[in-house]
This record gives sequence, C-alpha cells and structure tokens, in this order.
Amino acid sequence: MIRAALLMARKDLLLLCARGAGLAQALLLGLLLLFIFSLARGIAEEFSAQAASAVFWMATLFCQVLIFNALYALEEDNGQRQALLMLPVPEQSIWAGKGLAGMVILLAAQGVFIPATVVFLDQDIQGGLLGGLRLILTADLGLAAAGSLLGALAQGRAARESLLSVIIFPLLLPLLLAAIRLGAEAISGAGLEEAENWFRLLLVFDGLFLAAGLALFGFIYNAQE
Amino acid sequence: MQRRVSYIYAAPVPALLGGLLMAASQLMIVLVAPVEERMGLIQKIFYLHLPLAWWGLFSFFMVFVCSLLYLLRRDFFWDALSEAAAACGLLLAVLALATGSIWARISWNTWWTWDPRLTTTLVLCFIYAGFLLIRRMDMTPERRGGVSAALGIIAFLDVPLVFFSARLWPQTIHPQVVTQGQGGGLDPSMRLTLICCLISFGFLWAALLTLRFRLGRLEEVLNARLLVQEPETAGNHPQNNEEKNNG
Repeated sequence: MIRAALLMARKDLLLLCARGAGLAQALLLGLLLLFIFSLARGIAEEFSAQAASAVFWMATLFCQVLIFNALYALEEDNGQRQALLMLPVPEQSIWAGKGLAGMVILLAAQGVFIPATVVFLDQDIQGGLLGGLRLILTADLGLAAAGSLLGALAQGRAARESLLSVIIFPLLLPLLLAAIRLGAEAISGAGLEEAENWFRLLLVFDGLFLAAGLALFGFIYNAQE
Repeated sequence: MQRRVSYIYAAPVPALLGGLLMAASQLMIVLVAPVEERMGLIQKIFYLHLPLAWWGLFSFFMVFVCSLLYLLRRDFFWDALSEAAAACGLLLAVLALATGSIWARISWNTWWTWDPRLTTTLVLCFIYAGFLLIRRMDMTPERRGGVSAALGIIAFLDVPLVFFSARLWPQTIHPQVVTQGQGGGLDPSMRLTLICCLISFGFLWAALLTLRFRLGRLEEVLNARLLVQEPETAGNHPQNNEEKNNG
C-alpha cells in the first residue's frame, strides 16, 4: 500500500506541476488573502502576532481546498476514477497518495506564505525554527488527511470549491484554533502556558483524521455514481 | 419495510402528548417557576433554551448511530432516519442558539461570546447543514448513503475536539447551572419545571422526527414513481413517435 501511495503521489505531483494552472491558482489565492488582510491594519498600527497567525492559516486553508480539488479533478474525465479503483491496490492508497501529494504542495505554498506574512503583515519572527517546523508539519498532516478524505466528496460536483469549503471548514476548527495559537507563539517568541495542550490537540486531530481516512475513504470514493 | 412504514403513522401520538405537555410546561414556567433574583424575567427563556440544546445534541448523536448502522447493515431505513435526525437536530440547535443569544444580550450585554458550548453548537450547525446539503446533491441512493454516513461519523467524532479546542481558547462566561458548578444549582421548583420542559420537548422532538422521516420515505416513493413514469412519457413524446415512424 505504501509503494502504491508513493506512486500515486508522484503521478499527481508530476501532473499538477506539468499543468500548473491548479497549483498557481491555489498559491495566488493564498497570497491575495494575505495581501488583502494587510489592509485591515491602519497607518502606524501593528498587526498582532495572533492576527497574523490567523491570516496565515486562513490562507493555508483556502489554498488546501483548491489543492485537493485540483488533485481529485485529475481523474474526473473519461471514467478515470473507475480506472483507479480497478487497480490491484487497496483503495486507501489513493487517499494516502493524494494526501501525501497535497501535503507536499501545501508545504511548498507555505514556503511562500511565510515570507509574505513577514512582508505584508509586518511581522518579525522571533520564535525558534524547530518549534515552527514542528507546528507546520503536525498541522499539515491533519490538513492533508482531512483534505484527501473530504476532497473525494466534492469530486465532479458543480461548485465543488464552495461545497468542500462548507464541509471541511467547520470540521477543521480544532486544528485551526491550535495552529493559530501555536503560530502566534512561533511568531512572537513568547512562551505559551498551554502550548503542550494545543500540540496534543493537534496530534489527536491528526490521529482522528488518519484513522477516519483509512476506515471511511472507501465509502466515499468507491460508491457507484 | 411495509411494517416500518406503518410505524410512522404513529407520529400524531407524540405530537399530541408533546402539545399537551408543552401547554402544561408553559403554565409551569409562568406559575410554578420563581422569577430569578438577578436576571429577572428573561431567565425564563432557560426553560426553552436547555431542552432545545439537549434534544438537538441528542439528534446529532442519533445521526452518528444511524450512520454506523447504515454502514454495517446497508439498510436505507437507517439512512433515511439519519437524515431526519440531522434535520431535527439542526432546527433545534439553531433555535437553542437564537434563544441563548437573546438571553446573553440581556444578561451579559453581548449577543455572542467565544464559549465552548456556544462555539460547539454553532460548529455543529455548520457541519450538519453541510451534511444535509450533501444529501440534496444528485447521487445514486447507494453513493448518497455511503457518503453521508461517512460524514455523519466524522462529524460526531470531531465534536469533542471542537469542544476542547474552544475550552482551551481563553474566554468563557457560560455558567454550569444544572451540574451545580459556578451557577450554584437550581431551585427545586425550577428543576421540576425544567424536567417537565425536557419531557415535553422530547415528545415534540419525537413527533418532528417521525414526520420528517415519513416525508423522506414519501419523497423516495414519489421519486421511484417518477422514474417509472418518465420512460413511458418519453415513449409517448411526439418527437420519439416521429423517429419511430421514420425508422
């Protein structure tokens, strides 16, 4: 299953990078959000670390929705979904492969959003690199697991971007809150008393969506149209 | 299946009982329950707010159980019941939020506050509105059943995380009146009124659930009849007849 998932991720990454449009759209939307939210800051006013963290994670969430829509749109035409399902591999490897590809693209996008946060929202990152990296990897794991599971829901639907947003955003609230709090800590460098509790919450969220993906992906993706 | 369908005609029983008990509980709210010292008359909204919230949450739990049973047994009875429970739960949760908001505006001078229970209820409303949206999409019954059951399970498993994350977020003013927390517990006559309200809302909930369930089953029957009629109508279409003649 792991080999099949890696192959699936490689195929999706190659296709998305070759076509480029879906990837660029996700990146541009995130950057636009960061830029537009910078207008909320008045002249000579400071944007708090928590507000900057919230804007950064909102940009990441919108980018995630577009990424997973683009990933599942790859198999929309000519019954390619059925072709994927006919492969002699567990269907969970489709979920894992698309999740892995989505996570790689999301990490790359965040590589652009972090400098954009510094520039547009006038932030001075004072937290440790290790803490920030731990936060981003843990949060992105949950985002990828949930995005890959629920992205399959919206495949081939009209207005799939808004449909996926409506379904996924409320479910991602615990992850979003934890990521915003820990992100504020990573930006300001100020120690957060309940940081470990937030981090544990992120881990539980990751565990829940990894388990849900493994157990429930088949019911979402495998059913006949 | 016919036996199950016949059960739903029992909806008038809980509706009648719910109506009678609701009238009795309204009288109890006015005549038996005392006016709260600090908050005054507005506190009486609590007798509607709490049953609405509890039965709403129970509905969402029922969606979870029905979703599990659907995935295990592949019986559309559970699928239809989960939809009915989600619709009732959404209605009650929205009403609980509305009554709570009115109460909060007068008691705490704010329409909304970041509180674990408020936030969890609002997020539940969003999640189950999405659940109902998915069910209205054009899909085969098998796919709709599988997709919405998966979503029903994920949604309910996510609820404790939503609650704990909202609790970690540092703002709360919601008192714990029933479990004798910071609100200091309830007066016996208030408790009696509340229990009566809870029971009457329970019957009302059961009536709503059976009616919504019946509506869902009737919709299925109508859709099935339409599918049977459509080919016949298509066969009588002038253009088709013309094609046949030309053929």
